[in-house]
Amino acid sequence: MAERRTDIGPPHYENFLPPVIKKNYGKWLDHDIPRPGVLVHTAESGDKVWSVRAATPRLASIVTLRMFADLADKYSDGYMRWTSRNNIEFLLTDESKVDPLIADLKKEGYPVGGTGASITNIVHTQGWVHCHSSASDASGVVKSIMDELFPYFESMDKLPARLRIAFACCLNMCGAVHCSDISVLAVHRHAPKIDHDAMSKVCEIPSTISSCPTGAIRSATVDGKPSVEVIEEQCMYCANCFSVCPAMSLNDPETDGISIWVGGKLSNARSKPMFSKLAIPYLPNNPPRWPEVVNAVKHLVEVYAKHARKFERMGEWIERIGWPKFFDLTGLEFTKYHIDDFTHAGETYNRSAHNKIFNS
Amino acid sequence: MTEKRQTPKLDELTKGPWPSFVTEMKKVQDNPMVNDLLGQLERSYNEKIGHWKHGGIVGVMGYGGGVIGRYNDLPDDFPECNEFHTIRVNQPAGWFYDSKTIRKICDIWEKRGSGLTNFHGSTGDMVLLGTRTKELEPLFSDLTSIDFDLGGSGSDVRTPSCCNGKARCEWACYDTMKICHEVTMHFQDELHRPAFPYKWKFKFSGCANDCVASIARSDCAVIGTWKDEIKIDQKALQEHYVNGGGVDIARDVVNRCPSRCMSWDGTKLEIANEDCVKCMHCINVLHKALRPGDERGAAILIGGKAPIIGGALLAFTLIPFIDIENSLEDIYEVVEEIWDLWGEYGKNRERIGEFIQRIGLGNFLEQVGLEPAPEMISHPRTNPYIFFELDGEE
Amino acid sequence: MSDVSVETVADTMYDMVKEYHGKKNLKALDLQKAMIKKFGDDKVDKKMCKAAIRQLIDSGKCTYSYVGGSYIVLPPEKTE
Repeated sequence: MAERRTDIGPPHYENFLPPVIKKNYGKWLDHDIPRPGVLVHTAESGDKVWSVRAATPRLASIVTLRMFADLADKYSDGYMRWTSRNNIEFLLTDESKVDPLIADLKKEGYPVGGTGASITNIVHTQGWVHCHSSASDASGVVKSIMDELFPYFESMDKLPARLRIAFACCLNMCGAVHCSDISVLAVHRHAPKIDHDAMSKVCEIPSTISSCPTGAIRSATVDGKPSVEVIEEQCMYCANCFSVCPAMSLNDPETDGISIWVGGKLSNARSKPMFSKLAIPYLPNNPPRWPEVVNAVKHLVEVYAKHARKFERMGEWIERIGWPKFFDLTGLEFTKYHIDDFTHAGETYNRSAHNKIFNS
Repeated sequence: MTEKRQTPKLDELTKGPWPSFVTEMKKVQDNPMVNDLLGQLERSYNEKIGHWKHGGIVGVMGYGGGVIGRYNDLPDDFPECNEFHTIRVNQPAGWFYDSKTIRKICDIWEKRGSGLTNFHGSTGDMVLLGTRTKELEPLFSDLTSIDFDLGGSGSDVRTPSCCNGKARCEWACYDTMKICHEVTMHFQDELHRPAFPYKWKFKFSGCANDCVASIARSDCAVIGTWKDEIKIDQKALQEHYVNGGGVDIARDVVNRCPSRCMSWDGTKLEIANEDCVKCMHCINVLHKALRPGDERGAAILIGGKAPIIGGALLAFTLIPFIDIENSLEDIYEVVEEIWDLWGEYGKNRERIGEFIQRIGLGNFLEQVGLEPAPEMISHPRTNPYIFFELDGEE
Repeated sequence: MSDVSVETVADTMYDMVKEYHGKKNLKALDLQKAMIKKFGDDKVDKKMCKAAIRQLIDSGKCTYSYVGGSYIVLPPEKTE
């Protein structure tokens, strides 16, 4: 048997760079987006490379990966790459192959787009497909939203700037949705249900108690066995206790659902990066198509597209018009849930007399 | 094989123009694990609740990271996916592959698991979704035989990731792929053998556009920037952006500059570079005429994270500029100082951003041997509660 | 330094993991701190502790677990 190899790290990326990339590495001059989903980069040498970007559902079967490998052999000398938002890119040196590749991708069901002022793929988490703490499915919501927003993926002239959507199926945010133009975040709304039988077997009671950021968990004896109890009014459903103790599940089909946040960005271009802020505290889980969520997201996109100025991201637009106007234009209800009551809540109050007075 | 699971709810999601994850699963439904996974997921769609249990001790020999144990809570109904562990495989920097390698991965995964993957997971790994405990060692051996290794999980260095940088971007201010690869190789032990209070993520972006979201999603973000002047090609500016080009230079560029360092008189663009904050907006828009300067490097930012548990944080500037490609050893030194301090005093599940807020940035800097600098803050303190240290004062 | 061997550190760590089994999960750092305290920082350092942990894990005497954080525990089959 061969010697067991460990700590070898990933294969070196140079093994996978197309010749045109190797040759012009660090010597790129400029790029254009001649049409949605196609970038053309020009190097100092005069070489050009056409990148064709196609959507994937992130969850990819080996059948699809092999099909991508075949397309890469046919069109891009066997090379391909993925983007940070789960799109696949084929890098071509022959412009005449762009159209046939796009046609093949479309035929296989992987549309081309997601460049410039568009809505590209939604970064997301595992949801019911593979996660233990999810308050919703992830892939199903993403698929439903993108079906509806598809025209924005395939175009670059419908929006003032790019619009990034992210989805996370619980507050752990494996998909780090806290800085997106629109964040769709599944939430629990009920304190953990304690499995008292399992508690002493699978959890450390002191670390379970100390895991709670609001001090809502205290020790208790239940049926003669050591366990814990939760002060329900103090629970903010963060599920940190569940992360350290499997006997504290928060999953609940009746009360789990989805919240929507807006105005985050993480690029430093123009304004500093911003967090997303609460727009809609709760919408129900309604599989398989989540119509309430899809409609809310679509509505937000449309209001933004109608009112924002060129190059303004969602958050920059809202900063210009102000939150009162945002709630007015979107028709969303402003509630006490929108007002922060966590650690630095006071910093979010409007401590000024600056108010736009308008008739809605 | 057993009967094909019927999935009327999920079938709804095979319709529509966006590529469907259900279609992906159906493509490999002949695999009994996937057949049961489809059945289980349909059940979740009917019951509005997930059916996965919490963790479990599984892994490959010697490593504490890279495998996420996953079991369902319906072993009688869906026995084939009762064990359905996730494998994180460290992706090549910049997510470049060739077809030969993709096919080898597919062949291995067809033999050893469900045939379902994520290209890629949120942190950047290639994710192999669903296999049994007994397959883990053989799978690891198969992967290393084609020069792949596992990624991070748990309280360790998580798999670093980067934008494609100099490979295909004219704005890359340093070689992100090279630095990402070198850092990954340097910290192999820390990546595979968890020894921290909690996770530590590195992300590398070539410029302030930050295509890998490093400022929001990593404990240590390395973001490309430059020191000298933005290069202006006035001729190209005239050619491409005056009288056409779809850009109003005054409105779309000058007025949107966050540091108000630009002026435009209709023929000539001027930049007061000493006021420029390197945000990238003008370069993004006037890309045929403007380029980052020549003296390029990176800023190091620390402490970004999602909300659990003390609230979400964006990373803050620790080092405003460093010639990163020639200073990696210095970076390793600083990072290891930080890890030692965090290891000594950090609480379980406390990320570095939260730790620094708890002990105070001033104390943190003193402990890791860095000088305070005004670039680290948005403004000095507004409260008068200063902990004066009179020892050593005249 | 080192009239204390890595093996001794590993054995002492192992005893500690056994002692705490079922009571408290120990992190690599907990073991490291305990060893340095026990043997003194002139005899045992971070590197030795790391080597000792690696020995425990590679030999299969201990394994890593994850419950909201990574711990060093007895392998499941040894705890039945």
